[in-house]
Amino acid sequence: MTLAVRDLTIRFGGVTAVANMSLDVGAREIVGLIGPNGAGKTTFINCIAGVNRSVAGSAVWGGREILGLSPAALLRLGVARTFQSVVSLHDLTVLDVVKLGAAAHARRRSGFIAQFFGSERTFEDELCESLLKPLNLADVARSPIQTLSYGQRKSVDLARALAAEPQMLYLDEPVAGLTYQEGLNMGAVIRSVRDRFGCSVIMVEHKMDVVMATCDRITVMAHGSRIFEGTPAEVQTDQEVRRVYLGDA
Amino acid sequence: MTFALQLSIAGIATGSVYALIALGIVLIYKCSGVVNFAQGAYAMLGAYVTYALLRVGLPAFAAVLLGMVLMAGIGVLTERLALRVMLKAPIVSIMMVTLGLLIFLRAFCLAIWGPDQIAFPQIFPAGAIDVAGIYLTYNYIAAFVLATTLSIAFLCFYRFTSIGLMQRCAADNSRAALAIGIHVSNQVSIAWAASAALAGLGGVLLATLGGLSLGISDIGLIAFPVIVVGGLDSLIGALIAGFLLGMLEAFTEGMLTPGLEDILRRFTTIQSVGALQQVIPYALLVLMLLVRPQGIFGRSGTERV
Amino acid sequence: MTTRTVLIAAALAVAVALVGYEANRFWAYLIYAVAISSIGAMSLNLLIGFCGQITFAQGALIGVGAYTAGNLGNAGWGALSLLGAGLCGALASALIGLPALRLRGLYFAISTLAAQFIFSYLFKILQPLTNGVSGLVVKPLVLFGRPVASDQEYAVISIVLLFLSWLFLSRLAQTDVGRALLVIRESELVARGMGIDVSRTKMKAFLVSGFFAGLCGGLLAFTSRFANPEAFEIGLSVDQTAMIIVGGLGSLAGSVIGAVFVTLLPEAIQRLGELMPSADLVSAFREMAFGVLIILFLLLEPRGLVSLGQRLRSRWSGSKSNAGTAVTIPLRDRSRTFAMPAFNRRKV
Repeated sequence: MTLAVRDLTIRFGGVTAVANMSLDVGAREIVGLIGPNGAGKTTFINCIAGVNRSVAGSAVWGGREILGLSPAALLRLGVARTFQSVVSLHDLTVLDVVKLGAAAHARRRSGFIAQFFGSERTFEDELCESLLKPLNLADVARSPIQTLSYGQRKSVDLARALAAEPQMLYLDEPVAGLTYQEGLNMGAVIRSVRDRFGCSVIMVEHKMDVVMATCDRITVMAHGSRIFEGTPAEVQTDQEVRRVYLGDA
Repeated sequence: MTFALQLSIAGIATGSVYALIALGIVLIYKCSGVVNFAQGAYAMLGAYVTYALLRVGLPAFAAVLLGMVLMAGIGVLTERLALRVMLKAPIVSIMMVTLGLLIFLRAFCLAIWGPDQIAFPQIFPAGAIDVAGIYLTYNYIAAFVLATTLSIAFLCFYRFTSIGLMQRCAADNSRAALAIGIHVSNQVSIAWAASAALAGLGGVLLATLGGLSLGISDIGLIAFPVIVVGGLDSLIGALIAGFLLGMLEAFTEGMLTPGLEDILRRFTTIQSVGALQQVIPYALLVLMLLVRPQGIFGRSGTERV
Repeated sequence: MTTRTVLIAAALAVAVALVGYEANRFWAYLIYAVAISSIGAMSLNLLIGFCGQITFAQGALIGVGAYTAGNLGNAGWGALSLLGAGLCGALASALIGLPALRLRGLYFAISTLAAQFIFSYLFKILQPLTNGVSGLVVKPLVLFGRPVASDQEYAVISIVLLFLSWLFLSRLAQTDVGRALLVIRESELVARGMGIDVSRTKMKAFLVSGFFAGLCGGLLAFTSRFANPEAFEIGLSVDQTAMIIVGGLGSLAGSVIGAVFVTLLPEAIQRLGELMPSADLVSAFREMAFGVLIILFLLLEPRGLVSLGQRLRSRWSGSKSNAGTAVTIPLRDRSRTFAMPAFNRRKV
């Protein structure tokens, strides 16, 4: 399935945060969304994730208009996201959070009655095997989130999003706050996730080395609109991109 | 018509005192983000303390003033001992601390002065003036004049002096205030001292109007809905809220209750509507919260909904 | 929740029930008083501790349960009157919870305060249902065609219902609904982003919490044979909140511990106070101790007795933490806010 965003505009009061932004994501494609601070990247993601409202434009995912749908409805259509800042869900264990992610995917989840009376051992083992092991979280599956490192929490958030078996994954700054090595690892994880689950990915990110190593295609945003699109190699050599990032040389 | 006027006057007089007490609640909320359920208890304690000072033989003026000073001390004490430690505690815990304070202070006054209502000594001249058939007792006049002057004086202080400026700065953005060198925690203490003192005087005035009893502390909880209606972070809102509450009480008691009871007696077996005046503000609040949660004068964005 | 936890709790319940059945009236009274308060405290903890919805209307809900059970019981509904109390409590709770769909944190708390005052006012004036200020006399609970007359029997019934309530709530905490509550407590925005239907989940919490509050009220009416408006005022809400704070927010076991503490403390002071000259003085000292205690607890042990117990246990058993079981969900530390926007954040 593919995502096609056309002429998306978002305003907050008089401020136009995103103006006529367009973006295409093909099946199994990893698209990087980069740009200086305040370019409107997160606002854009939030909008197609059902958090912010747009004033104009369209976003068609697998033939359906998805603008205006709630995050829950999007999850049912196979669109999941991670969050920029890791939320402090301190009292929950890793498995709890991942199960919550799976809950968005009704087919994978037993009903309330079954959960209430039954044990979930087999389901937990399955989650461990399919999600937590690849993300190096199997050892901490039953630990409360508060005992994990920041990098691990980011992984938990990713596992949570993946538990809903998405066809499209929005990653909002997946490596921000991680160490250099953790960041590179996360990049590799994202590629392997795409390969294993066969989903498309949009990732907003600042760390250029990770973006270059991970993405198939890169879209550069500035002042709320797209200024460049191309392969990582093209982005690195483009004069306009250099100007936006480094100022006039 | 005369009756309605008479009610308005009673309403305005008690309302001005409520405004004084409400001012303190808003001040504390603005400055420290604490919702002080114990404000009514401060009023009650202030009244009892002043009563004790009067009994010792102090002249009225000195007793009231000393009472206010003592209350200011108690305000600072509670802030330093209890609330400062709770800075980052969950909001329910902070609410419970002030509720615990309310329970404690009530019980304290109960232990010392007993449960019965006490006639408060006359500190204002007895008697009344008669203006076109409407009676204005000196008690009412004095309460109104004192409470209003003090409220306005306080607002001016807050608006025009440098301490007031620092107060507003600390309340508006404590981080920025700290950065430009304002001792924020001192400002919070000042706010607590001022509100406790204002509440203490309010309590004394309420006692001159309606006698001295533990019931004075109820005003803290009853005033709450109206303050929210005015806007929890608006001092002007608190003033207007106080007057509104006074009027609402007077008119409910004087007109709505008898009328409603008439109707109810005719059609149902319910004989009395009880203390309707204490519930009307809450009913108003529920409506208000659903329509405009930030209050009439509050800034929107105080709580994002 | 492991099977072991359930078995331990069941054994504990049987033991206490046996003690209650054999004990004299006073001890039986203490046991059912604690058990009934515990049911109420657990229901309140579901809302405040798990879901983060601060409410001060718990007293009103218990009152609704008490009057419903009283009226139904007097009309000969038998054990069904307890079920009716729970259902009416759930209904009233949903009503009080409606503003929570629009309001958050402090403002919702104030709206529940309003609800509490309006309900206790209604208890006073709705003569036909509540018998007004003079209070409603309640006939004994009829169970299996026989009126339950002795305090010992009530102790057993209360303990059994406490165990069942605990079982239900701790199972609930292990489902997606229970986990969603915790996410909502931390951040409604994130909960929504995770695909959780925030409004529906909140409503479920209000319904379940209201049911057990109503059940608590029903038991209260039958054991005291009397329901009067003064019993269900804001003071009861404060007592109940004190229980979950003393015991531990977000912990079912903590609710029970808190209920034991808050229920027994006044009794203890009452015993001591019988040496004092006047009854007024005794009640004044009881209240003062209660007020001071709430404050001291919040200052010195803000995570409740449960966390104190956990710390002691982990000290004895080395560093091995025991944080996996359902009843001892580890608690927030002091440095964290309660997910109430714009309130704590303003502080430096």
